[in-house]
Amino acid sequence: MKFIKTLCATIAFSVVTTAAFAHHSTNGIYDETKEVELTGRVISWKFINPHPTLKLAVKDASGAEVEWDVSYGGSAVTHLVRRGYTADTFKPGDVIKVKGFQALLEGAHGLLMERNNPTHEDGSPIIAPRE
Amino acid sequence: MKHTIVKTALLLPCAAALALSGTGTALAADAAIPQLSGVWQFGRCVRDNGEVAQPFGGPGGNCMLLEENDARLTERAKAYRDAIEEAAQPKYDCAPISIPHMWSDPYSYQIEQKDDRVVITYGKDDVVRTIWLDGKGHPKPAINEFFYFGYSLGHYEGGKLIVETTKFAFDPQGLNADFKLASSTQKKVTEVYQIVDGNLDVEVTTIDTFFLKDPWVFHIRQAPDSEPLALPWACDAEASRDILKLAPSDYPNDPPIVRIQYP
Repeated sequence: MKFIKTLCATIAFSVVTTAAFAHHSTNGIYDETKEVELTGRVISWKFINPHPTLKLAVKDASGAEVEWDVSYGGSAVTHLVRRGYTADTFKPGDVIKVKGFQALLEGAHGLLMERNNPTHEDGSPIIAPRE
Repeated sequence: MKHTIVKTALLLPCAAALALSGTGTALAADAAIPQLSGVWQFGRCVRDNGEVAQPFGGPGGNCMLLEENDARLTERAKAYRDAIEEAAQPKYDCAPISIPHMWSDPYSYQIEQKDDRVVITYGKDDVVRTIWLDGKGHPKPAINEFFYFGYSLGHYEGGKLIVETTKFAFDPQGLNADFKLASSTQKKVTEVYQIVDGNLDVEVTTIDTFFLKDPWVFHIRQAPDSEPLALPWACDAEASRDILKLAPSDYPNDPPIVRIQYP
């Protein structure tokens, strides 16, 4: 609860009940009944297998930056390529908005994005669909 | 002139066969041998009534997955499942996922039919399976040899490729890596491949009397994939383990896990 309050105070936050696409390798890791939206600065983007990794710096209630691990779940490079991603999709310093399911582990900063795509801060798309 | 015509007449069918096989290995035209070579997409389940399900969608759509509490699991299977900690799963060391669980992963794969073997290259984990065709004088495994993907023996029959695979190593993620369902050295997987309306149909039957009460059978259909496989896979172990920091240990009183460095 304390963690949620902290999140609410500093970042764009919304809770939406969705019909989640549950990838089984993430079973029990994320709360897949609630969707969370947050805005942060890209620390790193590694376009690697088995799962590309995106790390974001997000400000907490005190204004300090907290590192979040944003996961695409079971998706690998080949899946994200088909969705229009490349190794250069994100650069350190980019400010982006992500939406997904928050990690269940207390105090952890993990987000399962899976089928969503990050957007620019103003909500405009970053990922151009592949022709 | 006559020689040129003869040469052309001989070369054209060869070129056509080479083009069809896509592997440089021409197979004799034989009704018993289906043309399976090519890249195939992730499969969709074929229900008993012949309908093709969406991947993971609706009744019968999860046929490739053995669920956590599947009725076919033995009590022994459930005991192994409950004892194995998630972090101990070999997949976090980039170990590949064996068959039949491999079918449930959403990746394309390539089949190459050669004279004495069929080679299947998966779009995940850099896995290459060799299916030795029966009667071609291939090497046989010794009594003490066991493998992640087992030892596969195949033959063509009535337009189908029939493959039997045994000699699997014990694998804690051999039936399902996400639910920690193990398979034993007694696992046997039978695959039947055939072409149906331009698609690849595969029926997969798995037995393992240690961990399955009954045979586990699923039937999938795969469309041709116009895109080549994105290889090498080049698994990054650190990225593979990234999610573990979000999963608390089942054995918090044990010393922390320290991963060794592979040569």
